[in-house]
Amino acid sequence: MNFDGNTNTPVVNEDISEHLFPTSRARILLIEDDPEIAEEVTNELVDRAYVVEHVATGPQGGEEARRGRYDLLIIDLLLPGCDGFSIIQDLRRDGIQMPVLVVSALGAVNDRVRGLKVGGDDYVTKPFALPELVARVEALLRRPLDTRATTLRVGPLELDLIERVAKREGRTIELSKSEFKLLEYFMRRPDRVVTRDMLLEDVWHYRFLPQTNLVDVHIGRLRRKIDGPNEEPLLLSVRGMGFYFREPN
Amino acid sequence: MIFAALFAPDGSPIAGNLRHIPAGLVADGEVHSVSLTSTAKHSINQPILAAARRLTDGKMLVFGRGIRVLTSLENIVEHALMLGAIPAIGLVMAAGLWLSRQAQWRIKAVNQSIERIMEGDVHERLPVEHIADDFDHLANGVNRMLAEIESLLAEVQGVGDNIAHDLRTPLARVRALLERGRDKAKTKEDLIAVTDRAIVGLDQAQSIITALLRIGEIESGQRRSGFGDVDLIEMVQEAGELYGPMAEAKQIRFAVQSDPTPLVHGDRDLLIEAIANLLDNAIKFTPSGGAVSFEVMGGAEGPVIRISDTGPGIPPEERAAVMRRFYRIDKSRHIHGSGLGLSIVLAIIKLHDFDIIVGDAQPGCSFELRCYATPRSEIEPVRIRTLKRLMPPITRWIRHRGDETDLGERKGRPVTPGQAD
Repeated sequence: MNFDGNTNTPVVNEDISEHLFPTSRARILLIEDDPEIAEEVTNELVDRAYVVEHVATGPQGGEEARRGRYDLLIIDLLLPGCDGFSIIQDLRRDGIQMPVLVVSALGAVNDRVRGLKVGGDDYVTKPFALPELVARVEALLRRPLDTRATTLRVGPLELDLIERVAKREGRTIELSKSEFKLLEYFMRRPDRVVTRDMLLEDVWHYRFLPQTNLVDVHIGRLRRKIDGPNEEPLLLSVRGMGFYFREPN
Repeated sequence: MIFAALFAPDGSPIAGNLRHIPAGLVADGEVHSVSLTSTAKHSINQPILAAARRLTDGKMLVFGRGIRVLTSLENIVEHALMLGAIPAIGLVMAAGLWLSRQAQWRIKAVNQSIERIMEGDVHERLPVEHIADDFDHLANGVNRMLAEIESLLAEVQGVGDNIAHDLRTPLARVRALLERGRDKAKTKEDLIAVTDRAIVGLDQAQSIITALLRIGEIESGQRRSGFGDVDLIEMVQEAGELYGPMAEAKQIRFAVQSDPTPLVHGDRDLLIEAIANLLDNAIKFTPSGGAVSFEVMGGAEGPVIRISDTGPGIPPEERAAVMRRFYRIDKSRHIHGSGLGLSIVLAIIKLHDFDIIVGDAQPGCSFELRCYATPRSEIEPVRIRTLKRLMPPITRWIRHRGDETDLGERKGRPVTPGQAD
């Protein structure tokens, strides 16, 4: 473990996939017409121990999605012969409920909105970084802890959702509004990689990417508050991917 | 002429201006058309309308009226029509034919111009006859639009060149990196280090493309659908909370101040994006120990959002140019970014019909975003729609021309602070 120059957040370099991707062996159907992208995505997911089936055309994809039992569908919107929107729509109409990750070169807000409206659960724009895709797949396979409790507890950290303060081993941590939202987001997804884009979209609800290291700065601040000098760090950076909140064993 | 006479039962006249009962006149009280050969005084021959009735004592009463005037009138009208109306119809038809030929000829000329424009000659204009008729008005309107398209095209081409250049730089760097890495790397770690740097380069190239797509999306005007009432104070607070920690991390004093201001009509997400870009810049260009101030205040025409810093500032002669795509002041070449942040801001400002003014914060630079409570014109989206319809042939033209033409030195986007159009 070493330190990232920007944020002083501990960086994880060792292979953490076994630890961070416990939903591996989930069955994923990939509908993508570009053979190279399909191969890269398939290899990346297979490396992380997912079971991946790839089909290249829309009609085949629709058929396969109905036939096989899949936990997740990754679909390109621009497919030869038919568009991804209609496939998702048809699947949803037939009551097929598996999470759908929409992948497309159409980055415009309208397409994004449309993709989510017809039944997609998340949306990634091409070209995407593979870790981004993997993080989103994982996020879709493991929906956040939806607890009605008024306090979240992960390891030594406790977050009071009503008072909006955190406690770590008796130490009370005051949080600003955005720090609270950020911490809540992480604590609902322990041991899962969260990318910068996901944070911007889900925590701040921004559809654009600031050019500076905005997210890192906020993470750094939050980390300095929750991880004391001699305490085991909870909020970690994963090089090239994003961040994760570690649940100590 | 009126005729009236009373005849004895034997037919001899008793009184009146007729000498005989007109031949063929039946005494049934009905009107008959008969011919009269003589009156009491003259011998004549004329058609009359007459009615006769036998009285109880056997006498016969006859009334009549000459209709020669009517017949001659009929003749006169007939002649007049022959002399007047037929030549008039002929004239009208000739005139109509001539006019429609004229119109056809002009439409043909316009069509030929359009053909040439479609074939890619953007300098072509519709013919104007300078007779100030409807055709001319229409042609002038279309010509103005063509001029606008031509300047946009020149701009697009200029931007295209800039894109090519700005993408080539990181791509060339990545290529060199990878090539050197493949040949020189001795350990796996060396290779990973090279790959990491290559990915950073590619990310930068990608951020340029993303920013360009974003500008295109904003400029297409579709985002007006997201318009609503925006509370600037709340928005400034949020942006302040977002960027405060960043300023702090760089040891920059960051002051947020907001005066009560009315709501403005706009797209909250886009306005926040514009402000985020300006704050991003302010913090990026301000050295440690400097200060950035961020305030919203009421102005004479509407709320004003002002962001000023103590960075190097922008020389007056470069203030118009900073809004140009990819423009970088030489001093800032080393600072990372797509160089498109201000272009995104400008696109957002134009969509809202707001103004942005670049000023001097002495030292440093200030950006003033002037909002107007109500939109000043709704013409813009219509124009954009028209342009959008025209875009497919234009893009075809660009593809067609892109490889072979180089317009050399081009004038930049004619943007001066305050008249962003």
